[in-house]
Amino acid sequence: MKKATDQDKLAAFQAYDAWVFDLDGTIWKGSTLIPGAKEFIELLRSYQKKIFFVTNNATKSRAANAAKLTSLGIPASPGEVYTSSFAAAAYLRTISFHKKAYVVGEEGLVEELSAAGISCVGGPEHRGKEIDWQDKEPHVEVDPEVGAVVVGLDRFINYYKLQYATQCLLSNDSCMFVACNTDARGHFSSTQEFAGAGTMVAAIIGCSEREPLLLGKPASFMLDHLCATHQIARDKCIVIGDRLDTDILWGIQNGAGTCCVLSGVTSESQLLSSDNKVHPSLYMDSIGDFLSVKGQLPSSCSIM
Amino acid sequence: MRSLQRPLPSARGAVCPRRPVHRMVSCSAAARPIARATDQQKLELLKRVECFIFDCDGVIWLGDKVIDGVPETLDMLRGMGKRVFFVTNNSTKSRAGYMAKFQSLGLNVQAEEIYSSSYAAAAYLESINFDKKVYVVGEAGILEELQLKGIHHLGGPADADKRVTLRSGEFMEHDAEVGAVVVGFDRHINYYKIQYATLCIRENPGCLFIATNRDAVTHLTDAQEWAGNGSMVGAIAGSTKREPTVVGKPSDFMLRNICARLGLRPQQICMVGDRLDTDIMFGKNGGLNTALVLSGVTTEEVLNSPGNTVVPDLVLPKLPDLLSVREAAVVAA
Repeated sequence: MKKATDQDKLAAFQAYDAWVFDLDGTIWKGSTLIPGAKEFIELLRSYQKKIFFVTNNATKSRAANAAKLTSLGIPASPGEVYTSSFAAAAYLRTISFHKKAYVVGEEGLVEELSAAGISCVGGPEHRGKEIDWQDKEPHVEVDPEVGAVVVGLDRFINYYKLQYATQCLLSNDSCMFVACNTDARGHFSSTQEFAGAGTMVAAIIGCSEREPLLLGKPASFMLDHLCATHQIARDKCIVIGDRLDTDILWGIQNGAGTCCVLSGVTSESQLLSSDNKVHPSLYMDSIGDFLSVKGQLPSSCSIM
Repeated sequence: MRSLQRPLPSARGAVCPRRPVHRMVSCSAAARPIARATDQQKLELLKRVECFIFDCDGVIWLGDKVIDGVPETLDMLRGMGKRVFFVTNNSTKSRAGYMAKFQSLGLNVQAEEIYSSSYAAAAYLESINFDKKVYVVGEAGILEELQLKGIHHLGGPADADKRVTLRSGEFMEHDAEVGAVVVGFDRHINYYKIQYATLCIRENPGCLFIATNRDAVTHLTDAQEWAGNGSMVGAIAGSTKREPTVVGKPSDFMLRNICARLGLRPQQICMVGDRLDTDIMFGKNGGLNTALVLSGVTTEEVLNSPGNTVVPDLVLPKLPDLLSVREAAVVAA
């Protein structure tokens, strides 16, 4: 497999109506845009392509991500953004969940759950909570109305939250265990990979011995929702991302085209290694590379 | 991992049962019911076994109370020249730290007879002639044991208040000389430690990932079960996608270490515990004699239930039951 040629890029441009971009490592790293990202999105919009941003990062809401994109020079509306936090909330709405959710996660996750009408316990409020081990009978009291433990990236993880989540799963009848995503690491900073939500989910698996239900990539939920809401056929979608085990696998398993970019967590040698079984339709250094065919596109008109 | 695939699920919800504990050796079912040990069986055991390894909770004590007759039983065994070890997967204290608990319960033990998973980590590093630095995710016990073996370490309780600032250009430095990350039970686990450990394991060539144990829950108090080291280890396995070398139960490192130190064969050692799926399986996998006591979590019904395939060599209502052959044993010795 070789890097995408101009011909490959032109073919993709023709074939796909909906362009579904990952964020961390694909559009930006931390708060630094990948060079060419802004220009390429503008180009796609000028050809009436539908644009979506789908991130497994649960820490910011859809609205907050849209605002960040806009402030960095890529105008976007919340409806074009999917986050794994939104997915968790949407899923719980789908099953008419009426109990409370214990949140191991940051503001974005609580915002999305609350927007879906779900009462939350924990989240940022349990930051810095400690157990007094000098107490006569230390214990963590849990709300018996918690019917789901919902886990996303939580950079304020602590033992109190682990214990609260464990107690909910062990002692609250039929308590669900929902994972926004299980990414091992991500580019939350422009300079370095940081431990991802996979850490928090694995921690809770490690003490509850329960398997979670996964909503984020590579689960199909977000692509199903996007296609149903915007009436797009799956094979008219192309997923562009930097991560093989989420973005690319997600696209492949759901009948969409896939483009792997090397601007994030995946290197060319990892992609091409014989150990890798996830093969995207095309790959390139970054989405900026698509701009090489700008001059070869037909004059701006709807290609549907 | 179950992911949500088409079609969308019904309103039933995502409930799944606890995963069964992995069984490494399958044992065929014995004649039911499995009988309690006769005096003859007890005497035979005392004759062939030179060393007893005891799980603590449910065998030696229950919560904060020593089980009646245990001190006299230990005296009897020591009087017969037997070696004894007390094993705990709890890594928060060093062996010397656990001594205080034993002594407060009126049990006369030497620090060297306590085999805590904190000690196991240090002993493992010593056994491989480790000479780099260790990053510790854990409490004081691990640091103290590393110190005693002269192993350089960083992290531990000192990193309890460290924070990752989440600035957009945030970059965490880490010590390139860290050659092992040791993860033990840590009530001050935080994102900084997880990230530091992840960087060491992923970026320092050949960096080891060692876990004191992977118990899902730990019995810190009687009031409730507490999230155990399975969660700290899970976190770091989750970010690195690496599996650790486990040095505490049910890994056999501890057994091999004891055999090596005492110059004994596994057949000369008896594991005494109250849990079939950890203590007894652990002993059987190591080729030891095994004795189940009914003074802890396992009842006779569970032992004899059709679902149980783990058959200990001996079953005792409690450890002090061995005292019934005290005189005969002395005569025979």
